[in-house]
Amino acid sequence: MKILGVGSGAREHAIAKKLSESRYNPKIYWIGENRNPGILRICERSGGEFIQGSTTDPEFVGSTAKRLGVDFVFVGPEEPNFHGVPDRLETLKIPCIGANRSVALIEMSKAEMRRLQWEYDVPGKLLFQTFRSAEEAYTTLQRYSETLTWLQNVALKPARQAGGKGVKVVEDRQIYLHDEKQRFKSKHVGWLEGYMRGYGDIEDKILVEENVWGPEYTLQCFTDGKTVLGMPMVQDNKNAHEFDIGTETGGMGSISGPDMCLPFLTMSEYDESLRIVEKMVSAIQDKTGKRYHGVVAGQMMLTEIEGPTIIEMYSRLGDPEALNVLHTLKNDLVDVCLAIIDEKLSSINLEFEKKAVVVKAVAPKGYPDNRRLATGHPVEVDEAKIVEGGCELFWASCDLKEDGRIISAGSRLVEILASGETLPEASARIEKVISAVRLADGWGLFHRSDIGSEELLKRRAELAERVRRLYLYRLEKGTVGKRVDWLPGVGKVDPVKMLREGLRR
Amino acid sequence: MPGIMGFYPFGEGRENWDASRFLYYGLTALQGRGEACTSIALIDNESKQISVYTKNTHVEEFYKLISGNKVRGYIGIGQVSPSEDDGLVEVEAPIRLVLAGDGKPGYEGERGEAFRRLAERLSTLLAEKKDPLDAATQLISEASVGFSFIALTENEEMICCRDHLGVKPLEVGAVGFDLGIVSSESSALDVVGATHSGQIQAGECVVFDPLSIRRRKHNGSSRRAYCAFEYVYLARADSYINDIPVYTVRERIGEVLAEEKSAEGDVVIGVPETALPFALSYSYKKSIPVKLGFMRTGRHVRSALKPTQLERLIGVQLKLNPIRAAVDGKDVVLIDDSVVRGNTLKNTVLNLRRRGAKRVHVRVGSPAIISHCPFGTEVPPVDELIGRALSEDEIAGIIGADSFSYLSIDGLVRAIGLPKHMLCLGCFTGEYPSKEEA
Repeated sequence: MKILGVGSGAREHAIAKKLSESRYNPKIYWIGENRNPGILRICERSGGEFIQGSTTDPEFVGSTAKRLGVDFVFVGPEEPNFHGVPDRLETLKIPCIGANRSVALIEMSKAEMRRLQWEYDVPGKLLFQTFRSAEEAYTTLQRYSETLTWLQNVALKPARQAGGKGVKVVEDRQIYLHDEKQRFKSKHVGWLEGYMRGYGDIEDKILVEENVWGPEYTLQCFTDGKTVLGMPMVQDNKNAHEFDIGTETGGMGSISGPDMCLPFLTMSEYDESLRIVEKMVSAIQDKTGKRYHGVVAGQMMLTEIEGPTIIEMYSRLGDPEALNVLHTLKNDLVDVCLAIIDEKLSSINLEFEKKAVVVKAVAPKGYPDNRRLATGHPVEVDEAKIVEGGCELFWASCDLKEDGRIISAGSRLVEILASGETLPEASARIEKVISAVRLADGWGLFHRSDIGSEELLKRRAELAERVRRLYLYRLEKGTVGKRVDWLPGVGKVDPVKMLREGLRR
Repeated sequence: MPGIMGFYPFGEGRENWDASRFLYYGLTALQGRGEACTSIALIDNESKQISVYTKNTHVEEFYKLISGNKVRGYIGIGQVSPSEDDGLVEVEAPIRLVLAGDGKPGYEGERGEAFRRLAERLSTLLAEKKDPLDAATQLISEASVGFSFIALTENEEMICCRDHLGVKPLEVGAVGFDLGIVSSESSALDVVGATHSGQIQAGECVVFDPLSIRRRKHNGSSRRAYCAFEYVYLARADSYINDIPVYTVRERIGEVLAEEKSAEGDVVIGVPETALPFALSYSYKKSIPVKLGFMRTGRHVRSALKPTQLERLIGVQLKLNPIRAAVDGKDVVLIDDSVVRGNTLKNTVLNLRRRGAKRVHVRVGSPAIISHCPFGTEVPPVDELIGRALSEDEIAGIIGADSFSYLSIDGLVRAIGLPKHMLCLGCFTGEYPSKEEA
């Protein structure tokens, strides 16, 4: 058997590793922009090959797959999906685990995803408004007293998935800091407009969503278009720095287990979340008439207004969330892939080990806002120390040069995984080996020591409990999803009704 | 016992933030810790230079006075202090830095002088070591216990540290994907709309730089010396200190008082503001109605923080005009937070009597203050401390009360809910934690 993978991050390293452990003993081939040392090694050992090249060029991926005569292709990241790599493979009749361009729209356009959710009335919604220019957004946002209250506390996002960049949350609840926040909002919508000029594939430029609070989590699922199978819930940590401070990143580390559910969430919240993801899969298939083959994930939050709520959708595994679930997956990943291809996923009984898993990313200073600073540094990793410490190393944004040197490529450098009975135990194990990763030129690295710690878990649990009380109360009173505003001089308004009317127009 | 705060933005557009607005509201929230001197330092958005402003006044007046200057900056630290001329400490070389400090490090001299020496040492270490985290860790391992600080360097680093035993608090909060805020108390984080996301641990150093936050914890014993007086008086009731809600401690103090020093009466009255939660829970526990006993005149001041006896008395009298209808003809249980010299309390009891109170039983929500504080909280010379010199009965006689009782030391420990070896009870016991225990 021959398998071709696409992508060169830690997520793809984890996928390659899991595929290589299959009882089918496949030869692993891989296409990546950077020569990821971990994937390279797996390819070599299996008798396959690593091919450096564009992961978003459908022709290149298609012709490579054809030339190699692979049994199927596994696409790791989202951009190949957005660029139609799976579509090209379909034309070539090469099976592919990866959302085609049409269904991947639920990730590519955050605006379209939200419209679809409202159109099909999938639970877990957020109020939103889209704009085609900063001017338009600014005019709406600058009104205060005469504007809907939700527009005062907002998340400002690029309307397109842009590598987790550009999201700002502005809570404007203190009237005495209003001028400050307002100035910041207007500067940021201007920045977003400029940033979105780089993407010509979508009309909406700026997405403004109501701001919500609560614990976040990712529910990743395999789907063949008919069946959606959920994996253990994972919580990623998006803020770049300790204490949940700082810029949004692709993810600085993630926790999961020991059960399907995170320690601070409940099984009924898991079930409800899974139902939401299933409905989104049906909705996008119904809307586009296309089959969804691959991975779909809800990046979600438990909120007071809606309970389990979609923040964003992924058309692939999360990074680092992929590492958590693949580590405990008991099934042969190739069996799962074949079942997706044959649309027989309902025959698969997904099983996971009962283990607490912590993953932490190590990034060069400069990530995520100033990637130029984070690029080009020689990397040194004491792999033996990591293994001796009971941890596992996954290579991420690293490029293995022909001369054997490994150079940082600007994003997260490596991800380190540990598992155990409890999350704090696994987290502590990673802390002990983290110094095994360094940059030979002395440039600084950072990671989050607090991920999986007792202290952070306690705060997450307190937060979840506070939200859950409010949500359950709404459930009991039948007011889930209801919002109402008072506009002085206008009267009582229902922002949900207004939004629905706007969508109908 | 000043209040200190640091404001640090990250990411795209970080220069757009105006730190001084956030410091204004945050420091206003911390003003219960001192308002004789206000001081802020800002890094200018364009020149990247640090400017420092200090005035001997409270926050509101301070901002009026400096608003003539072009006060802007995107990174900033600030301090409010109960003593005049106690502003941020500045060091010019080898590395220019400005430092806000709470407590007192064990260097020679008064508080300000001791912090100056600490700041100079930090500057030297920063020049010697390549990594500011190494410099901070070295400083904390050399230094004594009893302080926390936030320093801002010319290299846009914000360095935050607590001593090995964690005597003085330092809490951390976040705003969205942008701001990190460090503050003496979590209430200041609430006021500026930040989420309280943790605390700097005893012996921990945290370095903010434009591209990262890094921290290093001290791997010492489980010995802590959290200042017990924070829970009794210093901190705001809406703050969390060392992960413990101050309000809950104050409620438990009222309960413990009702258990161990029970007094009967027709009405329970709390001395505003600090003793109000004590009085509420004492009332609840004893099933004696609680009433508002006093009305305030003028803006809120913390009378114990006034520098002279005359000012303190003026402060108390303005603050504590008794409401006659609440006490006339009643046996009153009067609850206060602490007693230092007893003069102000004597005045209060006298006023209650003149408004018609029959019996007055005084209960104090903290043990007798018998000794100084080596960590910077201002306590008068020991020969002025009434609780050191006299028994409870003698004090009752002097202040003109029918009975007088302190909370016991064990009662305070029980109310805080931490084992004794995690607290500093020095002002009540005369025994102080030392660095060797860490």
